[in-house]
Amino acid sequence: MKKISLIIQREFLTRVRKKTFIIGTILFPLLYLALIFGTGYIADKTKEDLKVALIDKSGLFTQNLLTQTSDGDTLNKLTLITSNKENIITHFDSLGYDGYMVIPQNFDWKKGVDSVLINTKKSFGLGAFSPVEKKLNNAWKKIRNDSLGIDTIKEKIIAKNISLKLNNEKNKTANAGAATMIGYVCGFLMYLILLLYGSQVMMGVTEEKTNRIAEVVVSSVKPFQLMIGKIVGIGMVALTQFLIWIACIFLIYNLTKSAGVSTGAASDVVGKIQHVFTTVNIPLVVGCFIFYLLGGFFFYSSLYAAIGSAINEDMREAQSLSFPITMLVIFSIALMTPAISNPSSKIAVWASIIPFSSPIVMMARIPFGVPNTVPYWQLALSMLSLIIGFMCTTWFAAKIYKTGILMYGKKPSWKEMIKWAFTK
Amino acid sequence: MNILELHNLKKYFATQKAVDDISMEIKQGSIFGLLGPNGAGKTTLIRMITGIFYPDAGDIIFKGKKFDAEKDAQLIGYMPEERGLYKKMKIGEQALYLAQLKGLSKKDAMIKIKEWFRRLEMESWWNKKVEDLSKGMGQKLQFVITVLHEPNLIILDEPFSGLDPINANLIKDEIYRLAKNGTTIIFSTHRMEQVEEICDHIALVNKGCKILDGTVQQIKQDFKENLFEIQLEQIPETINNSAFELIGINKNGLTVKINEGYKPNDVLSYFMNQSVGIISFKEILPSLNEIFIKLVEGTPTARQFETISA
Repeated sequence: MKKISLIIQREFLTRVRKKTFIIGTILFPLLYLALIFGTGYIADKTKEDLKVALIDKSGLFTQNLLTQTSDGDTLNKLTLITSNKENIITHFDSLGYDGYMVIPQNFDWKKGVDSVLINTKKSFGLGAFSPVEKKLNNAWKKIRNDSLGIDTIKEKIIAKNISLKLNNEKNKTANAGAATMIGYVCGFLMYLILLLYGSQVMMGVTEEKTNRIAEVVVSSVKPFQLMIGKIVGIGMVALTQFLIWIACIFLIYNLTKSAGVSTGAASDVVGKIQHVFTTVNIPLVVGCFIFYLLGGFFFYSSLYAAIGSAINEDMREAQSLSFPITMLVIFSIALMTPAISNPSSKIAVWASIIPFSSPIVMMARIPFGVPNTVPYWQLALSMLSLIIGFMCTTWFAAKIYKTGILMYGKKPSWKEMIKWAFTK
Repeated sequence: MNILELHNLKKYFATQKAVDDISMEIKQGSIFGLLGPNGAGKTTLIRMITGIFYPDAGDIIFKGKKFDAEKDAQLIGYMPEERGLYKKMKIGEQALYLAQLKGLSKKDAMIKIKEWFRRLEMESWWNKKVEDLSKGMGQKLQFVITVLHEPNLIILDEPFSGLDPINANLIKDEIYRLAKNGTTIIFSTHRMEQVEEICDHIALVNKGCKILDGTVQQIKQDFKENLFEIQLEQIPETINNSAFELIGINKNGLTVKINEGYKPNDVLSYFMNQSVGIISFKEILPSLNEIFIKLVEGTPTARQFETISA
């Protein structure tokens, strides 16, 4: 035991002391936020402002009408062409228009037409012309309203809608929106941690093997101790990182709560977090996350360790051998999406019980509520099967590891590795 | 007293009988040479002695008791042929870590590391990383790490490869010093001149089997071919005697092989009767290198893969 703790200490300290750990811990949440907000921002910025010429043969549209119904969108321009129509059609490109469309002569204000061709010289994305489409439809709507004698007051009355709101009678605080958000965040975080730290285990093992330090160490400790020490040490690094993030969120939450509502975007985010905190059982989610983080990590990283022991310096070998395992993780994330949209469905229930997918899928379901969405028996069964699961993979991996770490030369196939595991 | 006894050790792998029924005894305080061509099974044998592998059959008796890998690992120091250290770890911390894995307390480990570093003039290395060291320096560090926990049995696989003569001598002196203090040393190598110089006792392994075992002196006696070198004041034109055959003539003199039933005196009296002045007369013992080559030659240099049904 003393030797394992020495190994754990070394694995933990050498990693935590590295600059990359500190940078990663700080940078990751920032990058994550940047990814979420940044893509929206970039999508907004990269939108093209379009200038389209409208040639109306029906005589229903007027420039005045188009300006009236533009809804304040001054970036995209829909210009009615009254003179020199032929010139526009042939030279719209050089006249500074992105495209032109022709409203046919038989355009009836009651029936309209199914579609109008928009002629361009460049290729545009599918949604690029939707602002222009909206403008055109607004104008047509105005024409219809005017013809039918519907004024703005009447129009507002017509536009009224009824929306449905979910009320879970057993669990008054259940909130599907917040649960979905937390479910996604938990699932993706788990996915990232499993893959990132799993491959760290794999590379760590390979490094020890190719440095030949493994042979020195296994003359002092059993190979199993070395493997477990490495896995637990790196697992603790992952846990430390996660706890730092959680602590930061609590800190920010409490600071902003005591400071009162601040202004701008920050208050929006904080408000959302506050909302989540009051509607979801946070201690339960965090507790389960830690359990599934460690369970899932042991499950996968022991397999990664086995692969790390089998390969040599060549990282391409690592890729091809670890592919089936990486696929399991990716498959789990694929199961997560249907599980979140319907957390009580059969596929969600079973995927959250079977060990390989349970860390990701169960974490996506738990925010929806225990014991309402996830009954206690499912949670217990899932946890138990994960424990049994990682004990099996660790046993299996230890067998491969023991042989692989001292074996040099050719890369073994999965078949050979399985043979190592089942022969003494 | 024997520190280590191997009884009928066997280790078969899927395609090879790596060690096939090897027995040997190693006396406490001796320097034992384990010789053999590449792929003879030396490393597998050593890995069984260090507890890395379990033998398929046979017993290892360590200090009079059955070898217990977990408990006895602390009494053994092993330096593998391929040197292994964490490249990015500081040298002081690395030595401390590996010594603690061998069961030393942090305090004891610290004292011993300081002592060894001082003796081998490595004190300035403490905060350096292994990747900063030259190959020879790394070797020296590896040696210190191997012997740091004062094991009873030290196994060195090619300890001098990559060392310059000065550092090689430094390590050699340390090996002698350890042996004098009662530490047993197993030397695995194919550098015969070093074996002849350092080892008391050797065993030669080939294709998983032991083919030779004894003291260096005894083995040389066993393999001598009754060859003698005679230096004469002048070489006679004809040499013809039934007592010996002339093997070769060079500027140092003659090499002769004494025939069965004759003695060196018969050779000397022949030349004396011819009134030729004798300057020197010396027995030529075979070098271990020659014995090694003679024994191993004729067997395929590379081991063939075979199917083992165990």
